[in-house]
Amino acid sequence: MAAPSNPYRVGEGGLIDRTRPLAFHFNGQRMQGYAGDTVASALIANGVSLIARSFKYHRPRGFLGSGLEDPNAMVEIRDGYGFDAAVRAGQVRLAAGMQVRSVSGWPSLNFDIGALAGYAAKFIKAGFYYKTFMWPNWHLYEPLIRRTTGFGRVDANARPHPRRQHHATCDVLIIGGGAAGIATASALGGSGLRVILADDQPQLGGSLLWSDIEIGGTSAAAWAGDRQAALDGAAAVQVLTDTVVTGAYEGNMFTLLQSFHTDGSPEAPGGIASECLWKLRAGSVVLATGSVERPLVFAGNDRPGVMLASAVRKYLAVHGVAPARELAVFTNNDAGYAAAFAALKAGVRVPAVIDVRDAPPKEFMQRLAAASVRCITGAEVIGTSGGRQLDGITVVPLGGGARQHIRCDGLALSGGATPLVHLTAHRGSKPVYKADVAAFVSGDLPEDWHAVGDACSPCSLSEALTQAHDAARAICRREGVAAPEFSPPDVAQTPGLPIQAHWRAGTGNPSDMFVDFQNDVTVQDIELAVLEGYVSVEHLKRYTTLGMGTDQGRTSNINGLAILAALTGRDMSEVGTTTFRPPYTAVRLGAIAGDRQGPLFRPERLIPAHALHVRAGAVFEDFGWQRPDWYRSNGADREAAVRAEMAAVRSTLGIFDGSPLGKIEISGPDAAAFLDRFYVSNLRTLKPGRIRYSVMTGEDGVIFDDGVVTCVDETLYLAGPTSAHADEVANRLERWRQTEWPELRVGIASVTSNWASFAVAGPRARTTLAALQPDFDVSNAAFPHMSYRAGRIDGIPVRVSRISFTGELQYEINVPARYGQGLMRRLMDISEPACGRLIGMEAWLRLRLEKGYLHVGSDTNGRTTPLDIGMARVVAGKHADFIGKRSLALAYAQSADREQLVGLRAESGQLRVGGRVLADGAMPPCRTEGYVTSACHSPTLGISIGLALIERGHSRLGERVRIFDSGTIVDAEICPPVFYDPENERLQA
Amino acid sequence: MIVIRCPYCNELRHEEELEYGGEADVVRPDPGSADDIDWTDYLYMRTNTKGVHFEQWCCRAGCGQWFKVARHTVSHEITEVIPYDKKFAHQDRH
Repeated sequence: MAAPSNPYRVGEGGLIDRTRPLAFHFNGQRMQGYAGDTVASALIANGVSLIARSFKYHRPRGFLGSGLEDPNAMVEIRDGYGFDAAVRAGQVRLAAGMQVRSVSGWPSLNFDIGALAGYAAKFIKAGFYYKTFMWPNWHLYEPLIRRTTGFGRVDANARPHPRRQHHATCDVLIIGGGAAGIATASALGGSGLRVILADDQPQLGGSLLWSDIEIGGTSAAAWAGDRQAALDGAAAVQVLTDTVVTGAYEGNMFTLLQSFHTDGSPEAPGGIASECLWKLRAGSVVLATGSVERPLVFAGNDRPGVMLASAVRKYLAVHGVAPARELAVFTNNDAGYAAAFAALKAGVRVPAVIDVRDAPPKEFMQRLAAASVRCITGAEVIGTSGGRQLDGITVVPLGGGARQHIRCDGLALSGGATPLVHLTAHRGSKPVYKADVAAFVSGDLPEDWHAVGDACSPCSLSEALTQAHDAARAICRREGVAAPEFSPPDVAQTPGLPIQAHWRAGTGNPSDMFVDFQNDVTVQDIELAVLEGYVSVEHLKRYTTLGMGTDQGRTSNINGLAILAALTGRDMSEVGTTTFRPPYTAVRLGAIAGDRQGPLFRPERLIPAHALHVRAGAVFEDFGWQRPDWYRSNGADREAAVRAEMAAVRSTLGIFDGSPLGKIEISGPDAAAFLDRFYVSNLRTLKPGRIRYSVMTGEDGVIFDDGVVTCVDETLYLAGPTSAHADEVANRLERWRQTEWPELRVGIASVTSNWASFAVAGPRARTTLAALQPDFDVSNAAFPHMSYRAGRIDGIPVRVSRISFTGELQYEINVPARYGQGLMRRLMDISEPACGRLIGMEAWLRLRLEKGYLHVGSDTNGRTTPLDIGMARVVAGKHADFIGKRSLALAYAQSADREQLVGLRAESGQLRVGGRVLADGAMPPCRTEGYVTSACHSPTLGISIGLALIERGHSRLGERVRIFDSGTIVDAEICPPVFYDPENERLQA
Repeated sequence: MIVIRCPYCNELRHEEELEYGGEADVVRPDPGSADDIDWTDYLYMRTNTKGVHFEQWCCRAGCGQWFKVARHTVSHEITEVIPYDKKFAHQDRH
């Protein structure tokens, strides 16, 4: 099959590998590029000039730039490794088999119905959407408007690219691998300092790759290649290509995004194989990011075929692609001429170079004359013609005069260099305006930073190299290492003439002069914003969306500011810039997340007997730990299983895996005194072998956690916080020990995961424990409720607590975690003839609700104090201080109007968590005075029950209230929060 | 990124390994004698400095010790790191 032709490919030259053609598709059409192409250069080579429709007016758009500064060329890419919904064509390296699609234009890129919006353009000014679609509300219009705008569509089925993360340090980070960056790295090469040089391109060189200047007697591109080879061989220098520094943070911390490409082959498609997000800490920093070229602003400057002069040079020199057959140049500085010379060298006709300056460098004029190229000085372009492709431009002398039309299908723009100072701005440094170079340059640099080359201020190549060597010397001095012998290479460069600022065309329709191509912001929009009083640069940005696109206004910001400055009669320095924030360029969220997604987002914690629960048919829920919620072996569905599990505990036996319950050992002679300061109950009177329930509050008196405290002996206590707070409670104890009471002799050890813990609950709990044959007496007299025994079962150490969460006789049996599975197996064997069942979390929580035990976090909120849950007597009975005690004496804690925890018995319908208690039994909308915190149907009582926090609840027992929930109203009676065995006969049995 | 050398284990710890503990040297008044104003000031009132702030940090992923740090709230520059039972330089002068 014949290879598709590359009509815009230059006969020779470029850094592409012409022996390796790569086939790809654009909008379903088969095309061909070469290894070394970007998607943008390959498309241009194939004659594609229309790449997108603009955001608002759906105007045809072409390639304005060649890389991440390009506001137009957004495409979606499907490669051999994954899918990206919106990437910039110039930033993606071509790979065999790539599927490239345009992401704007409906029904197609060539015929976009939305372009009709262009005819209505004069009505769609800045703030149009805000002003027009306000009534009755924006959300009515939003879906319709969204469909016609935006970039790309998400493919939920697509595999994301693989991602990694890497942490590193270095002595010197050099950002940018152009002339200045290469020179700095080369100078530091022999210093022994660990240097990282990062550049966003596949090879070092930056603008040297398309420069016609000679360095040290060879071409600039060859010099860059030689230097890169030398750096690759230097032990202490690491060169990272395809790597963007995306953010600068305090302490010289940086984030870098590195991509790995493969070109692929017809058999094995290539693409972005993976990405790596670096977190890098650097000693010294060299900012060598260079500059980006600005377009010039005039009517019709957005027509496909209009391109930055630097992009033209790059496409020609790097990719061997000519973006036009007849290329005119419009410039206000020397850089435009280099594009003209490069085009001529590649055989492209140059009908004219238009320079706003009256007297460009003589040498340039002579060279153009020799090639029969007209040089129109002191003039400007004020308009373009053509449909979806440029076919000519209109030129007039500055200040007015005779118009002339020049035929061309390409126009290279050079409006001056904008230094890339974003990273210094990330660190809070405000860019300052420098009129002689018509650019914002970095202000005060952060500590240990050096700016060199254009990043410092637009300068000549020899100046950049000298700055680089000065920076290298300064770094060596600071690091105390001997500076290697080096000197800047000779540069053969003609001295140039200064830029002449030219921010917008003198004539033409302001609504056709595009400033921000991506967001369709025109000069007219800025005029309107000024008229309406948006004169701060930050307001201008938000009102017009200038610079808010995915290109972050790389090419548009400075032009916009300058136009604002002129309209408001201020200096550029007075207007200032908007604030640049990280990231420097779009970073995929997946790269930031790295491996921390899916099952690795938060590693699952498994209980010791997890595998046995799986076999027993457990349905797991994540409660911080993977815990059985219910068991399929107990019922066909959740509700049936939960009821069977509850019935087992009430009538025979239930086995519940409570291993995640917190276990903290507090040891030492002052253990009791120490713990007593945390809990509202008096723990100094707790005798060895006894257990007490209590709650813990913060200094503000609000309940933080509850649980039981066990006195093993006078120098060892066990605190049993809730599983959710196990770590926090241990940290809290330790913090107060260190910071407030270092004189107390205590040690704190969190042993939660050292012990597996099984609760056996129900009338047959004691016989079950006895069947395990522990070496201690388990009779009711010898081992009463709220007591603790340590001993052995089969020679294995056990800790057994007789406590109850369910209201039934209950023991909690703890064994070292490695015996957890064994204990569970034994318990299941014993329980089978006893008609026991495994119990999941849901049944467990409903059983405790029947008993009226509260669940911290459900039945308490960020205001609930011990007084509100009925512990006033306990608090009053404790004379010693505890954390939060003083706060309970404050007026707000003592107020009678507080929400207090009570029980609710439904008289009709089902109570549900979150139901609001209506004040005075009124109909909503009305004030509410509390809410249902826990609710379930009680199989034991046969009605719906709940706990609730209700204003003045403790004094309202017996009162009937109406509870509103999702449109229904339930009548209920306020009752004490105990529904089952209020005399505690069962758990004492 | 904030980086602090723990004065106990002497390791350089990154922000991700540390826990912030709020202002340092907030004195807990005697609950028996503090009036409501003293007590609520202790609970809720903190200095909100633009400049050097004296605060508590914990070597959470390391040795677990709490220590004290003087940090500039604008630049995040760490100017002093001391064990918990020591005083900041400016406190010694008084």
